[in-house]
Amino acid sequence: MIAALFIFGPIVLAVLLALFLRGENVVSKYSALALFTGMLGFSLFLLQELPERGYLALGSFLEVSKFDFVLTLQVDMLSTIMLLLTSLLLILVTLSSWTMERQSLYFSLLIFFSGAIFGVFMSTNFLWFFIFWELTLIPMYFLVGVWGAQRRIYAAVKFFLYTHVASMFILLAFFLIYKESGLFDMSLVKEGMLLSPVLIWWLLFIGFAVKMPIFPFHTWLPDAHVEAPAPISVLLAGVLLKMGAYAMIRMVILMLPQTSQKYAWVLLLLGLVTLFYAAFMALYETHLKKMVAYSSISHMGLVVIALATLSYSGLSAALYEMIAHAFVIAPLFLIAGFFYHKTGSWQMQDMGGIMQKAPYISALFVIAGLGALGLPGTMGFIGELSVLLSSIKSFGLWMALVALASMLGAGYIIWTLRRVIYGEMSSVVAKTDFRMNRVEFFSLILFVFAIVFFGLFPNLLFEYINAAFMQFQSIGALQ
Amino acid sequence: MITPFYILLGFGLLSIVLHRTALLKPFALTAFGIAGSVSFMTASADLKLFEIIVSSVLFAFILHEQEDITITQTLFLGASSMLLLESDSILSFVIAFESLSLISVILVSYVRTKDEVEGAVKMFIASALATGFLFLGLTFYLMGGGELQEALHPNATLFEMIGVFIMLLALFYKLTLVPFHGWAVDTYAKVSHTNAALLSGVAKTVAVVAVFKIFEPFLALHLSFAVPLFITVAVITMTFGNFLALFRKNIAEILAYSSVAHAGYMALAFVAVSSSYAQDGILYMAIAYIFMQSAAFLILDTLKKSYAIVSLDDLHGFAQQNPLLGALLSIQLFSLAGIPLLAGFLAKAVIFYAVVDSGLWWVALIALLNSALSVAYYAIIVKSIYFEDLKVKKLSLSNRTTAFTAQLILVAGTIFFGIFAGVIL
Amino acid sequence: MNSFVFLLLILPMVGALLAFILGKLNSRLAFWTAEFVSLTLFVLTLKLFVEYTQPLDIAMHWFSLGDFSIPFGIYIDQLSLVMLLIATGLGFLDVHFAHDYMAEDPHQPRYYAKVLFFIGGMILLVSAKDMISLFTGWEFMGVASYLLISFWHEKKDPADAGVSAFLFTRFGDIFLFAAIGILFYLTNTLDLMQLNAMARAGEIDQHKMYLVAVFIFIAAIGKSGQFPLFPWLMRAMEGPTTVSALIHGATMVNSGIYIVARLFDFYVAAEALLVVAAFGAVSAFIGATSALVQRELKKVLAYSTMSHLSLAFIGLGAGSLAAGMTHLVNHAIFKALLFLGAGAVIMMASHVKDMWRFGGYGKKMIFVSIAMAFGALSLSGIPPFSGFFSKDAIIATSLANPQTEGLIATLTFIAGVLSAAYISRLWFLTFAGETRDVALYEKVKAPSFFWITLPLLIMAALTLFMGFFQEDIAQFVSGSPLDEPHIPGLFFGLLSVIALLGLIVYYYYVKRLDITQKIAAQPLMKAIHTLLFNGYFIEFFIHYFVREIVVGSFARAIFWFDVNIVDAAVNGTRSLSLKVFKHLQKIHTAYASDNSGAMLYGIVILLLALFIGGLL
Repeated sequence: MIAALFIFGPIVLAVLLALFLRGENVVSKYSALALFTGMLGFSLFLLQELPERGYLALGSFLEVSKFDFVLTLQVDMLSTIMLLLTSLLLILVTLSSWTMERQSLYFSLLIFFSGAIFGVFMSTNFLWFFIFWELTLIPMYFLVGVWGAQRRIYAAVKFFLYTHVASMFILLAFFLIYKESGLFDMSLVKEGMLLSPVLIWWLLFIGFAVKMPIFPFHTWLPDAHVEAPAPISVLLAGVLLKMGAYAMIRMVILMLPQTSQKYAWVLLLLGLVTLFYAAFMALYETHLKKMVAYSSISHMGLVVIALATLSYSGLSAALYEMIAHAFVIAPLFLIAGFFYHKTGSWQMQDMGGIMQKAPYISALFVIAGLGALGLPGTMGFIGELSVLLSSIKSFGLWMALVALASMLGAGYIIWTLRRVIYGEMSSVVAKTDFRMNRVEFFSLILFVFAIVFFGLFPNLLFEYINAAFMQFQSIGALQ
Repeated sequence: MITPFYILLGFGLLSIVLHRTALLKPFALTAFGIAGSVSFMTASADLKLFEIIVSSVLFAFILHEQEDITITQTLFLGASSMLLLESDSILSFVIAFESLSLISVILVSYVRTKDEVEGAVKMFIASALATGFLFLGLTFYLMGGGELQEALHPNATLFEMIGVFIMLLALFYKLTLVPFHGWAVDTYAKVSHTNAALLSGVAKTVAVVAVFKIFEPFLALHLSFAVPLFITVAVITMTFGNFLALFRKNIAEILAYSSVAHAGYMALAFVAVSSSYAQDGILYMAIAYIFMQSAAFLILDTLKKSYAIVSLDDLHGFAQQNPLLGALLSIQLFSLAGIPLLAGFLAKAVIFYAVVDSGLWWVALIALLNSALSVAYYAIIVKSIYFEDLKVKKLSLSNRTTAFTAQLILVAGTIFFGIFAGVIL
Repeated sequence: MNSFVFLLLILPMVGALLAFILGKLNSRLAFWTAEFVSLTLFVLTLKLFVEYTQPLDIAMHWFSLGDFSIPFGIYIDQLSLVMLLIATGLGFLDVHFAHDYMAEDPHQPRYYAKVLFFIGGMILLVSAKDMISLFTGWEFMGVASYLLISFWHEKKDPADAGVSAFLFTRFGDIFLFAAIGILFYLTNTLDLMQLNAMARAGEIDQHKMYLVAVFIFIAAIGKSGQFPLFPWLMRAMEGPTTVSALIHGATMVNSGIYIVARLFDFYVAAEALLVVAAFGAVSAFIGATSALVQRELKKVLAYSTMSHLSLAFIGLGAGSLAAGMTHLVNHAIFKALLFLGAGAVIMMASHVKDMWRFGGYGKKMIFVSIAMAFGALSLSGIPPFSGFFSKDAIIATSLANPQTEGLIATLTFIAGVLSAAYISRLWFLTFAGETRDVALYEKVKAPSFFWITLPLLIMAALTLFMGFFQEDIAQFVSGSPLDEPHIPGLFFGLLSVIALLGLIVYYYYVKRLDITQKIAAQPLMKAIHTLLFNGYFIEFFIHYFVREIVVGSFARAIFWFDVNIVDAAVNGTRSLSLKVFKHLQKIHTAYASDNSGAMLYGIVILLLALFIGGLL
């Protein structure tokens, strides 16, 4: 019951707040913070309660027997980790949007989003999963469209339509699964029950690939990222993309292991292409936030490569890289957005020498950047290392190629630092005042602290990450 | 035996006396209240819910409506709707269907502007044609040995088949399926929005449910006849409707084409007639559609009358002026677009699943992609409401609480049936 | 014992944080923290050294990736200890020297924090037991080097130099990173000692080992500034001279040699030493010749560093671990001495680096000039200074090894003797003769004894002193004596060439500078000068390749593809829909007659559908 409350509670609360609060009312901000903290507590509670293997049932609601349409809430280690990540990011995003304009509506939408995203990670009924999956689009559409930069409308509509079209493939796949297996619950469906697993695999793959995003379905992301306000970019990269990866793990890799085996090369190939393609895009890009967006896509390429291994270690690597990506990209987006907010320009050549004006923020940018290029001691390194080791074990020597990506990563990050942070002060920077709200600065520090802390002590995460996939190894879903 | 039909007919006849008095509206509201309760007690199990919903939507409509004459006509329209829903033989079906056509034509013939004349005339021509076809088809059917007092013969002769085919053509007119839809978009967009709400929201939906009820047993036995016929019609209709709704500036036109597209989705139930979910699908679609389409047109009416909003550009930044109405319109539009937790989504889900269930997953894919395409024009309307800047501050001329109450009833329906599917299924 | 080692690893990092935080209170506190921490580190290392009996081996588990266990181990043997002594000892002297050198800089907390962080990285590298901790230390140093080179980030050149340093070394690093993966795939272990043992036992396929060895060597090339990845080292001279002394003269650049030495058995078994020697020889030659013509004091030293590290590589490549490592140790000390001496000169000369504006500085800073002379003699290879023994051993080894005796040995020999030429040119131009910039000369003051001269003198003494313990060093580091193959006449030949070169340089750069300038003005000499001055245009080629080919063509092509194909396809759906819309709009007129007419088409279409449906 409590679980359902954490889904519908926020949605109702969001509607109420949106109805009754206007303008800059801070009530919604504090309720958001309180709610997300509660969600974090709830996720931690779930972590305690989880059984050794399998799911922890949290109740089922709204049963419609004819259609097997029932809101079954259950979590396993994988979803609990996603819940933890999500609630943590939501708290940090709240902190980093502390001075956002039109607060009451903004935070209502965030609260709405939190309910939907909890629904995504907790419900195992395909139809309800899909409902929440689609529902996350609505607050995002508004958050990008209302609070975005100049081309916000273009970006919001593109994001909405593109991902919605992809969702249609997912829905069709769910329908086919139900038709063929008579089950609408992802925890019960087994590949053997399906008559046309190949068709279902492709439909699901395309649907989730758009969300992750995988080349060539990535073009909505740079636009959405660039136009969205910085905290929303964090949410996009940290939660929305992870939703795609989570679904890919759960419904493609673990549910359809044999077909995935057959098409592992598709995953691997597209993962490699995504990795390098986006890295080259980032290398050529002079738009600061687009550069970060492409680097984000490039990192998702690593996740795809790790998924392609279909192995215990590969999935662990993928999940770690997902978490690492969330924490590493977040401060980059936030700071890039901050620089834009202050200087009024996205172009790197207009910046330069910001270190002299804002040494601490710049230092955080440097650390986050080093995390993105995979410096040991940061989460980025552990992610890259894990992906390299697991993929090389599965696919052989030539996967050493993955290392080349970190050269490109170093290229675009270091050049960006040079153009934006270091060097002589540009005229724009010279007349800008780089003061930052304390709460927002605090959230940045927390992000950067996490990058370093979990980079030095990755086992704190791997303990849970490994536990998430250990059970599937014995089932035989993984090699 | 008292049926909703008699109640509404009686109240309708009596209501003429009450014109120009304040009592008319409460009287009509009472009529629909009673009709709903009676449906609850007497109607057959499978249509009970739908009849109640038709009554309550018309109830909300009365709350919104200001013209005396239209209120009376609404009562008659309700009566013939109930008659149509309860019809169980060819004869009663044809009679009810024609009376619904008749009242529809009467409804739009109350013209005030040139545009309304155009809409009314087009509808009149179409209705005449449809009636002609219907009777032509009926003639063939009877020639083939059909009986008027019974349901359609399952083992049809050739003439009976031809009859059914021609009758279906007539019904395609009413259901605005492409290419028999030409009148509909002009009529819906040009007659007054309240009338459009009645025609496209209520009358069409009732007709679809009734047609399904009458023709389903027959079509289910003649799949090789029904499936290719309806695949063609459904696919053409939804594609045509959706593409033509794109890039339009006039909101009423967008909704008119969206109405055509939805007719296409409804036609999918006939495609999936072999599946046990088809019945649920069309019912769910009808219930969802009657709420969201009526609501959308009624809000449009308020927008036009109170804010002089006609095109998308007029709508810019509307949320800043009237956030509540903007939110209500957005919810109804999202429901039309098939966004979850709203009735429109589950309706599409069930009806598309019925198609998948009957083995035609590729048709479902076309429908799904069409639905995604349709999101484009709904999202653009929402975009205008929220993302654009308010250019000119428009004055609100009046703000009626009854109209607002009507909207609350309709939005409650949209949300309720978006979550509690068990009530229908 | 263990806790000591952990202290050694953690203290610099804690010290870095402390130096930064305390330094924010009072910038001098940063220095004292750093001084204290680096001294403590040195003392701890000494203690380890004195108490050393057997290798210290701590295997730790870092994290589990699925069913893989990722280690993070510490291993300290003689080789590590020597490197530790160099890192902490020179680190301490360097920090001490910076007291005056960085005295006027407003960002001292940042400086000392980074230096301590660097020392920490170096300690981690040399005490690494496995590839993971090795790589971690390796990258820590890399980033510290990057941050320190661009310490004066507000100026264009240091900022660019930092980028260059990071990217050049990173290019090497990714091969090390790849090597981690390959080794893990091949052997299932990342333990360096175990790899050596497996290589000795022949348990790994030799061809694949060769690949790994080359990969690791590319990383070493990057870090140690060898051909073709050396241009960053010259650029790195934009950083503070103390940084150049510590990182780009004495410690970090040695790590490439260290890693080859650490995996020496692996390299032997992989038969990859020839590659090491070959690249070493080319680099030695390029470094030595380019050093001859540089104008800037520090650039001469940078090229000289490149050249001398190459000598160490050649020593290893020719099969003598002892010769290579001994040279590394000797070089570290005399190069730190030379760099810091140069730093003293530059500091006193108002941060001018151009040697042509110096001259006659010996009179103003006598101790500095003497200390520098010790360093120069050691670098040239004059007995009894330490440099002589190791350099001699390397040349002899390369001549004796049948694989390297031809071209490689020749290049080695040339580089070996040319070092006498460029270093004497440096010394004479700076300290001897008449000054060439009087205004600058007037301003030069004598440096402080305790903060500047004392560290130089300590190192000068060491260069002399260590000359007498070469055998012990070799024995300790490599476990084998500096078994120099006897080449008849090499000793005297080498010495006489070096002495002759010294004299020639003295004549042309002190006595008859005018003739030199005339010769240099000739077109051919000018061309050669330009070639050498620019380091054979290697940097130019690499920059051209990266800027024009990788970014300018390849990345740009991908960018074009993304915008005009991939994204255009997505956005094209809009214009496509618009076309469909307009087309349908044309069919769909508003005339009632057309509406009715459409019906006819409808009937035909439906009948057709029924017909086709009947066929299917």
